[in-house]
Amino acid sequence: MIRLENVSYNYPDGTPALRNVYLAIKKGEYLGIIGRNGSGKSTLSLHLNGLLRPRKGKVMVKGMDTGDYSKLREIRKIVGIVFQNPETQFIGRTVEEDLAFGPENLCLPPAEIRKRVERALAETKLEKYRYHSPKNLSGGQGQYVALAGVLTMEPECLVFDEVTSMLDPASGEEVLKRVKKLHEKGKTIVYTTHNLEELHSADRIIVMDRGRIVLEGEPEKVLSDPYLRDLGLTPPSLIELAENLKPHGIEIPWEKTSSPSSFAEEICRLFLKT
Amino acid sequence: MPIILENVSVFYSRNTPLEIAALKNVNLRIEKGEFVGILGEKGAGKSTLIKLFNGILRPDSGKITVNGLDPSSKKVKSRVGMVFQQPADQLFCRTVYEEIAFGPLNFGYSKKETEERVFEALEAVSLDRTMLSRDPLSLSGGEMQRVALASALALRPDYLVLDEPITGLDPSGKKEILDTLKKIKEKGTTVITVTHNLKGFFPLLEKIVLIKEGRISFQGSRKEYMETENVPLPPVASMMRELRSRGVPVNPGVFTVEEALEEILRVKSMMEKEKAEKHPEK
Repeated sequence: MIRLENVSYNYPDGTPALRNVYLAIKKGEYLGIIGRNGSGKSTLSLHLNGLLRPRKGKVMVKGMDTGDYSKLREIRKIVGIVFQNPETQFIGRTVEEDLAFGPENLCLPPAEIRKRVERALAETKLEKYRYHSPKNLSGGQGQYVALAGVLTMEPECLVFDEVTSMLDPASGEEVLKRVKKLHEKGKTIVYTTHNLEELHSADRIIVMDRGRIVLEGEPEKVLSDPYLRDLGLTPPSLIELAENLKPHGIEIPWEKTSSPSSFAEEICRLFLKT
Repeated sequence: MPIILENVSVFYSRNTPLEIAALKNVNLRIEKGEFVGILGEKGAGKSTLIKLFNGILRPDSGKITVNGLDPSSKKVKSRVGMVFQQPADQLFCRTVYEEIAFGPLNFGYSKKETEERVFEALEAVSLDRTMLSRDPLSLSGGEMQRVALASALALRPDYLVLDEPITGLDPSGKKEILDTLKKIKEKGTTVITVTHNLKGFFPLLEKIVLIKEGRISFQGSRKEYMETENVPLPPVASMMRELRSRGVPVNPGVFTVEEALEEILRVKSMMEKEKAEKHPEK
């Protein structure tokens, strides 16, 4: 669906942000991207719908080159981005207005715009905030408005750029649940984060460091790779605990490391069996 | 002197159909020199609460005093330093020096006194003097956060109030800020922080305040917190709690991977020993 071919990009001051990146994102895939601050995650995300264009190489979205200005409109209908700080993407005075902005720009008929706004409000449970100013909502609710705004464009692929890093764990979990649901509905998901715990159910994870992809694979393999620590990343604590228990003859299968309760259940099963 | 809140309520959009009660009858006492963590879900009222401490917001009912004074008085404003969640929002000068000097100059300190305070604040956050001529917005997230911290410290506040100081930073940036705050607190400044990152902050906190829907649902020590039901815990701690509730005799209060490993192995060998004693023939 999206293909990056030998993509390089420099920041305005000349520092390389992406170096010769090759990446293919399949339709319906749930791809996680991790890496420390400045590793190139966000720069990569911004390339996916042509907000940034590569200095070298090219990015193709369903066969369209993001470097081709005449195709940008079409590309942005296909790939929508939700940012870390939702306030940067608010435009409307009320939540409702904010959500209508995208479809209005697509010149859709008013009835269709209304339908899409209602659907996005319902999907993000924001109905009661429709007349509030998006700037006066709490961080979590603001993130929902940003997500709803992207949903009104009905994109096939959603890119989430560290959307939970400003949220409390409970609302982060809720946002993550929404993301998983969107994936189940067949949307292609690209999800960048610092919090490796969030990527347990991704199809594939890539790890970025200094503008390059340095690790790639299934979550089971990537999240327990000792190399993560060298890259300045903290592995999920339950996976780390499972790895540490292994040499002592306590084997916790991968699926059980996804939540505290399944982990505890497994230990009980091992300990209390007679 | 402590910060004392008596029966404080705050409403947004008061007397309109959109009225929301952000804080409801909150009673809280924060002693000088404490390291306090304020926890709670989105929209619980955490940020509202800390905005009361230096008079950015005023309670609609109830009373708040800081060092016995009304927090909106100028005397209190220089005693309470605030650092907001997005450091970039509060950095507006062209150089780091101007940024840190802004507060002291604004409060009428001489150039010489201001310079002294800038150097002192810079040292407190472990930034190098070569930084002083840089543009604050060109710094990394962790450095920016430390500049924001330094500008608050330049007023030598009694209270340092922070909103999510380590969110959005990678693990090494987080550690930098945590180490800095620890040092500041050891020098006698009261540190009050809103945080979701219990895992990072827990070892530092002396008092934990949990807010739920505008009310304080828990306040107490770390130990009391760990013994309370239905409070948010990081994965390893909640896994250990669940083990206990399922009848595996692990000790409460385990927080880190290392502690959990030790505790699980201890219980394992204990249980094996018991089994061996019960069935000596095996």
